[in-house]
Amino acid sequence: MMTYIVFILSVIFVVSFVGFSSKPSPIYGGLVLIVSGGVGCGIIMNFGGSFLGLMVFLIYLGGMLVVFGYTTAMATEQYPEVWVSNTTVMGVFLLGLLMEVMLVLYVLKSEEVGVVFKFSGVGDWAIYDTGDSGVFSEEIMGVAALYSYGAWVVIVTGWSLLVGVLVILEVTRGG
Amino acid sequence: MNPLIFTTILMTVLLGTMIVMMSSHWLMIWIGFEMNLLAIIPILMKKYNPRTMEASTKYFLTQATASMLLMMAIIINLMHSGQWTITKIFNPTASIIMTSALAMKLGLTPFHFWVPEVTQGISLTSGLILLTWQKLAPMSILYQISPSINLNILLTMAVLSILVGGWGGLNQTQLRKIMAYSSIAHMGWMTAVLVYNPTLTMLNMLIYIMMTLTMFMLFIHSSSTTTLSLSHTWNKTPLTTTLILITLLSMGGLPPLSGFMPKWMIIQELTKNSSIILPTLMAIMALLNLYFYMRLTYSTSLTMFPSTNNMKMKWQFETKRITLLPPLIVMSSLLLPLTPMLSILD
Repeated sequence: MMTYIVFILSVIFVVSFVGFSSKPSPIYGGLVLIVSGGVGCGIIMNFGGSFLGLMVFLIYLGGMLVVFGYTTAMATEQYPEVWVSNTTVMGVFLLGLLMEVMLVLYVLKSEEVGVVFKFSGVGDWAIYDTGDSGVFSEEIMGVAALYSYGAWVVIVTGWSLLVGVLVILEVTRGG
Repeated sequence: MNPLIFTTILMTVLLGTMIVMMSSHWLMIWIGFEMNLLAIIPILMKKYNPRTMEASTKYFLTQATASMLLMMAIIINLMHSGQWTITKIFNPTASIIMTSALAMKLGLTPFHFWVPEVTQGISLTSGLILLTWQKLAPMSILYQISPSINLNILLTMAVLSILVGGWGGLNQTQLRKIMAYSSIAHMGWMTAVLVYNPTLTMLNMLIYIMMTLTMFMLFIHSSSTTTLSLSHTWNKTPLTTTLILITLLSMGGLPPLSGFMPKWMIIQELTKNSSIILPTLMAIMALLNLYFYMRLTYSTSLTMFPSTNNMKMKWQFETKRITLLPPLIVMSSLLLPLTPMLSILD
């Protein structure tokens, strides 16, 4: 099972995405978002990116999702919708689940999956020790490069975030 | 809106488009599109009423979907080529997805449904920015990937856009919806020639922006958003009725006005590439556009449109200052003899 851990984690990832995109109340959406964040962190860590996985937990789950959870708790309704309370939500959830199950069976049974690019069975998802990245880990080097060669990206994303805050304040302030 | 915030947000719209046009890395292009989208939302919502909020929401939803499709095409391209540079798209699926995403951003058929509704819900100045500046960024990306675009899909979308832009504008009396359908039709003309000669796409974009700027500024000057309101301009500023006539005929593509230049060049380029039926069809469908422009000129400049006596004096506050109207009018009507200069656009 351990060789196919990334495949299993990716299936749980997709199922939790189906869970919140079938639109229950935002509180329950936040719940599966936590699960998907944790599972996504697991996927990244299996590729050797321990720093980025930690970033997911700290910043995404511990920062943004906490703020989202608090604001949703302030704006919640008396009887929030669960997946089984509304026929539409349950139908969409079951449909997404069914599509994922069929895709998993397709991947497990056939030799080659050719949707847009070709996977040759489940073995493509297994992680092998490929190549020699030296004594340093690549993803921390990537983050370091962001702040040296990629200074323009930092400026652009920083400006986008600032303007995002300004835009949200303008839109909610109204006339 | 606070003037400082408004300036910042407007500059961010400009910065977003500049980033899209200048970048060589696909991720930066996507960031530029998102920055552009984010910053234009408060500009669309300048007047705070339910119509503008609905229009801004519709715009945001369609453009965000298009950005997601663009990101998917970028990632498929990355998986097949292993690099992020904008040269050509290395996979036909990625090319089709990217063309659809950029067509959604431009408002080409079958993704044109948001254009009239969004343009109608916002003020005239915001509509001006929406229909001119927002077309620059997606068109620049289409220009850069033009060697890898699937010809069948692009030509189908172009011809259908010209058809929809002509037919859809026939039943409209609201000026903003007329300009929206005119924009759809012009985008169709621009993308029809994209694979054959991208320089003509840029020429058409230039002339279209000039003409649309002129039209919108004439509308802002007379504060009119309906045909009936426009037909009272003879009372306010009689000279602008002549200017409206000339600019509308230029938009319809009549020689000797400058709106004829892109249509002439495009038809010539298409026939040089041995397609006869397509430019004939396009020229015939441009007549639909010409019909509703002429209906506007009829009610505005050629007749004193009937109205009740108490509507004849148009109420106006202070005269709005229109930037650069005379040069724009000259450029949108008299540029035809300068056609040989289009070689500088190469």
